[in-house]
Amino acid sequence: MMDQGHIASAFDRDLDAVQALIMKMGGLVETAISDAARALEMRDTELGEQVRQNDKLIDELEEQVASEVARVIAMRSPAAGDLRTVLSVLKISGNLERMGDYAKNLGKRTAVLSEMPAITGTGGALRRMTQLVNLMLKDALDAYIQRDLELAINVRQRDADVDQMYNALFREFLTHMMEDPRNITACMHLHFIAKNVERMGDHVTSICEQVIYLVTGEMPDEDRTKTDRTSTDSTLGKV
Amino acid sequence: MSKNIKISAKNVDVFYGDTHAIKGVDVEIEDKSVTAFIGPSGCGKSTFLRCINRMNDTIDICRVTGDILLEGEDIYAKSIDPVQLRARVGMVFQKPNPFPKSIYDNVAYGPTIHGLAKNKAELDEIVEQSLRRAAIWDEVKDRLHQPGTGLSGGQQQRLCIGRAIATAPEVLLMDEPCSALDPIATAQVEELIDELRASYTVVIVTHSMQQAARVSQKTAFFHLGNVVEYGDTDKIFTNPEDSRTESYITGRIG
Repeated sequence: MMDQGHIASAFDRDLDAVQALIMKMGGLVETAISDAARALEMRDTELGEQVRQNDKLIDELEEQVASEVARVIAMRSPAAGDLRTVLSVLKISGNLERMGDYAKNLGKRTAVLSEMPAITGTGGALRRMTQLVNLMLKDALDAYIQRDLELAINVRQRDADVDQMYNALFREFLTHMMEDPRNITACMHLHFIAKNVERMGDHVTSICEQVIYLVTGEMPDEDRTKTDRTSTDSTLGKV
Repeated sequence: MSKNIKISAKNVDVFYGDTHAIKGVDVEIEDKSVTAFIGPSGCGKSTFLRCINRMNDTIDICRVTGDILLEGEDIYAKSIDPVQLRARVGMVFQKPNPFPKSIYDNVAYGPTIHGLAKNKAELDEIVEQSLRRAAIWDEVKDRLHQPGTGLSGGQQQRLCIGRAIATAPEVLLMDEPCSALDPIATAQVEELIDELRASYTVVIVTHSMQQAARVSQKTAFFHLGNVVEYGDTDKIFTNPEDSRTESYITGRIG
């Protein structure tokens, strides 16, 4: 049904154009996340700075998406699946923009962290966590373009792995800080980074929920297992 | 809260000669609500609408089978007088069609032939109330004895609505009542429809999907003589069940 074009073919071109903007944004965010993670691990302040600069492009695209969506709503009065498409485009662009901000923040902290002694072991763990989120993002965007419900549900479940990695890092940072108070500043920065990467995973989850809404017309139930326990479980602080 | 069913159509088929125009339609229309019929030209929505007050009786080759019940009563039963039925089930047409008479006489005609007024004072009262309900009283009260055809298109259509409600009907059928009107007059008629639903059961056929979405609580999508989907208007326009409904309302099939 949706592969059948509109009688007004310009409507199809409008929808395609706005979805192309989302894919472009998604590509920029994927690059920003992997560059930011690499900058952190390699202590490459130049690359970190570049991530900060490039975030402007992502912000601009988000504005472009918003104005395109407003135009499509005003000119075409989209209904049913078309309406869900433009609404989901708007939300997904918001998710991507926030993810870009987190990557930019990671780039910023790279400059500070590179002045401090390295915390052994945490760089690799953060990189693995970031890679996991980036792979989820790629799959979520594929699920969006293919309208692939199965894949969206699968990616949404995978956020539990990110949460678990964050829990493990949270514990590790605590250990490092207790071992040597001189680690506290660096660990605080690293903890913010880990938390931000964990938040990126939540935004990917939100994108997947938009895909589910787009395909089925209904938002999924809140039956996803939540495994970030750091805000509720006090035993996590006992080491 | 489940609403009362005002009109219940069961397995309705309509034939024009050999042409099978309506195929086994089942629809239940709620009391004191607006129900919209949408669908491409020739889908049968107007034909079905006209079955509800037996307007199709006037077409010789037209044959209706199945049951249409108004408050549980079969409107095609032998005991039903179609003229009386049409007083209970009023109709407003696509093109405003006031009689070539005064504004007053346009509205007074129905109540007079149906003997609804005992004297002139009662008739005056019916005319004023009908024109007030049709949201046109203030515009015409000073020229009730001028011809109805001298009004603007939008005013003429509201006059026709006033004429339709003068016989105190229970149901109002509207066949594309705004298709000949400009956007302002359309908005006024839509506002009027929204007010009328407190007192009447309104069934509207419209080619404007936006109008169906704006004015109705229930929408039926007709396609090739079938009711493809019938349900709450907000559901039909945000998340229809049937792919043909989706294709039609999003402009993929005509």
